[in-house]
Amino acid sequence: MKKKSEKKRVFQGVEDMPISAISESDMSWNKTGSWRNVRPLYDTKTSPCIAGCPAETNIQGYIRLMQENKYEEAAKLLWEKNPMPSVCGRVCFHPCTEKCARGGIEEPLNIPSIERFLGDWALDHGIKETADAEAAPGATVAVVGGGPGGLSFAYYMAKKGYPVTLYEAKEKLGGVLRYGIPEYRLPKDILDREIGRILSLGVNAKTAHDVGQKVSVEELANYSASFLAIGLQKSRRLGLEGEDSKGVMAGLAFLKSVTAGKPGAIGRRALVIGGGNTAMDVARSAIRLGAEVEVVYRRTRDEMPAIKDEVEEAMAEGAKFTFLAAPVAILGENGSFKGIRVQRMELGEPDDSGRRRPVPVKGSEYEIAGDSLLVAAGELSNAEAFGKVIEMTNGLMVTDDVGHTSNERIFAGGDVVTGAATVIEAIARGRKAAKYVHAKLTGVIAEVEGEKKIMSMSDINEAYFTPTNRVATAHVPLETMRDRFGEVKQGFAEDDVQKEIARCMSCGVCNACDICWMFCPDAAISREDGVYTINYDYCKGCLICQHECPRGVISSEREDI
Amino acid sequence: MKIVMEGNHAVSYGAKAAEVDVIAAYPITPQTQIVELLSEMCASGELNAKFIKVESEHSAMAAAVGASAAGARAFTATSSQGLLLMHEMLHWAVGARLPIVMANVNRSVGPPWNVWTDQNDTLSQRDVGWLQVYCESNQEVFDTVLHSFWVSEKLSLPTMLILDAFYLSHTSEIVDVMEAEEARKFLPPFEPKQFLNPADPLSFGNLTAPDAYYELRYEIDQDLRRGIDLMKQADKEFEKLYGRSYGIIEEYRTDGAEILLFTSGTITGTSRVVIDEWRDRGKKVGLVKMRLFRPFPVDDVRRICRSAKKIAVIDRNIGFSIGGIWAQEIRAALYGSGYYRPVFGYIAGIGGRDVTPDTVNEILEHVEHLEKPDQDVYWIGVKHEPVHSTR
Repeated sequence: MKKKSEKKRVFQGVEDMPISAISESDMSWNKTGSWRNVRPLYDTKTSPCIAGCPAETNIQGYIRLMQENKYEEAAKLLWEKNPMPSVCGRVCFHPCTEKCARGGIEEPLNIPSIERFLGDWALDHGIKETADAEAAPGATVAVVGGGPGGLSFAYYMAKKGYPVTLYEAKEKLGGVLRYGIPEYRLPKDILDREIGRILSLGVNAKTAHDVGQKVSVEELANYSASFLAIGLQKSRRLGLEGEDSKGVMAGLAFLKSVTAGKPGAIGRRALVIGGGNTAMDVARSAIRLGAEVEVVYRRTRDEMPAIKDEVEEAMAEGAKFTFLAAPVAILGENGSFKGIRVQRMELGEPDDSGRRRPVPVKGSEYEIAGDSLLVAAGELSNAEAFGKVIEMTNGLMVTDDVGHTSNERIFAGGDVVTGAATVIEAIARGRKAAKYVHAKLTGVIAEVEGEKKIMSMSDINEAYFTPTNRVATAHVPLETMRDRFGEVKQGFAEDDVQKEIARCMSCGVCNACDICWMFCPDAAISREDGVYTINYDYCKGCLICQHECPRGVISSEREDI
Repeated sequence: MKIVMEGNHAVSYGAKAAEVDVIAAYPITPQTQIVELLSEMCASGELNAKFIKVESEHSAMAAAVGASAAGARAFTATSSQGLLLMHEMLHWAVGARLPIVMANVNRSVGPPWNVWTDQNDTLSQRDVGWLQVYCESNQEVFDTVLHSFWVSEKLSLPTMLILDAFYLSHTSEIVDVMEAEEARKFLPPFEPKQFLNPADPLSFGNLTAPDAYYELRYEIDQDLRRGIDLMKQADKEFEKLYGRSYGIIEEYRTDGAEILLFTSGTITGTSRVVIDEWRDRGKKVGLVKMRLFRPFPVDDVRRICRSAKKIAVIDRNIGFSIGGIWAQEIRAALYGSGYYRPVFGYIAGIGGRDVTPDTVNEILEHVEHLEKPDQDVYWIGVKHEPVHSTR
């Protein structure tokens, strides 16, 4: 600032005085920021939805892009953490939604339907990506298992420019997505298209190549790195006499037969054992085949590991549930299944899973008649062949946090490492392993992510958010649902998705709403291209910006004075 | 153009004719219609001004101060509690020498809550340094908005124009309204002597030590005194252009009057009728309408009172324990005039109590029968108490 007059003026009398006190220099000497003892700062947090996603999908980020009608960029941002949104939009249990802070206003965002819309939009519009230039010349990568974990790893490695060979034992890729999850939840067409997009990055898929049989485990040594994601292939047996009799079937085998279009005979009355997602898929598939279904589960509805929606839909479709009952004998006649004897249970002390352990009630046994028994009491691994090259415990592969096994060149992920988990967990592990394999092959240490600050609901300034109805996912009417394997949940139309993404509060992430800029009483916040800067020469630390910020972006810290 | 309108809208049309640049206001009964109509005028583009909504009257005046300091012709309106909340900023406008014009609708001060008229809100602000002009009719209200800017901008001091709640604010009369183009003949565009300008930074109102603060206050006092002549001049210029004049004090049938009745605001209109009746009966009474309260026209009051024997003052306000405020001012003006005139102080109409011709008659009869006041204040019409023993 220019100084107009350094000279002190002395007034001779009232006649030559101005009418009010005016300083001819400006006030730039007076940096009122010196009054401050606490400073606000822009401090981007992790939105609760993102923190809730095992794969850390940038939900807030892609929704923001969708709000700006940048669907292609949105899809690409989504793929950075999850290459299968069309699949996950349909089958994921969506812990993101449970964490959504909008739940504190009225209801959480319908993230599954938004994700599905975006995934399908990208498929319908043929949005493609190109692989990066070869990152480590000469390096080759193998993936064993074409389920979500293996596909995820293959995608991220192919994207980095590695030649990837993907071995799958079955005829087609998809693993549990194809052979476990029924058509009415995940149409095969969607699965095929999403897998097709992944393969188009240059993955060399070898189906009907069972590593351990057709390909030897030792051959993996020919690759610079391998990723094992073979999943859990065996249904857990009940260990009761008569389990191999006619009419008794493993849940996974039943689902596979349904997928193949040659469903096993289940008769008029099917009994289903188990309370997980497989049990629900089995029960609902059986209903679609025209059977009356009774699900027998040894704990209560609260302890069921299945996705809540799935349980509700199974009930709505007419599945009967018998809780707190465990089969103790299989009843047969001439080698044919006739029913089970069950024992009543009650809940005791919590077990290792944190759920209350079912304890048998003496003298409470009774019989349940049925034409078939579908056992979905859990899955086990079938990975003995790999014991030669890596360390294993209880049939599961042992890895560190990033998926590295005891073998220098072998990584692993998915259910065969974690035990029965989720699709999104497998995708997350595939990506994480890819990141570290890439680091290992290039010798560039992957950057360590700092500890995340997760925005909490209390940082939301509710005054800025008007309760707005959630756009619900439409279902095919109940009457028609029972009879078909067609998709039950309906996707969002463009209108629906626009309404629903408008509800996103962009928790902890600035979306250039201007509130801080407008409220700053010292005009100490400036704005350029949607980015705000605080001029600490004049910020007095009143923290009005922090209190007003609708989405908890601004934090504050004390200063020494 | 003649339009039938309430007093509040006469203010709005006045501000429009004055082509104000900025209006910063907060609504309050019974003022709200003033800024309501102005906001509509701004919204429709009929008036090219910035309307600033604020969260309180303190902020309304602060915003007007800011606007005026930036060289804008600034206007606001308020009433009662709102005016009291502005008190700090009223001083600011004066000290910063800003020619803001504000309309205040006289409303009683709570508690107890009361929306009807009396003058205690504005008279409580008598020493802040604002000019104060009290109006009797809606036409006078319209014209006074223009007078106010004319004088204020010459003095660099703010003016409050004042109208009674409901008796004027909500009562419709015919008002001859002029458009801005016509008004410009009287009131030229505002040309501030100094103003905030980012390209040429100055700072205003800085810490000023006793060596200069004293002189700045002296200047305010001197300039406010000049307001008496300027207000007269404004009235004359205005009359030349538009044919309407009010003076700073109006003498109504005062020729040869032995008793002079001093009034302000709408009580004047009622009193005219009573004075006419008394004159018709041959009584030597006259009416003096006080229009300008600040600066107080001491010399004019002295001149007017000199020919009378007794002075009666109706105050629609109360300076607790000392009497009506207009009466105090008139007594103070006469003191040192070199002659003595007894001043009878009457309190009437506080809190919107009707002041009817009967009330005025009662007052005149009371003055007529006493040689000099035996009390320094008479409360007229206190229930269950004879007037003479209310003290």
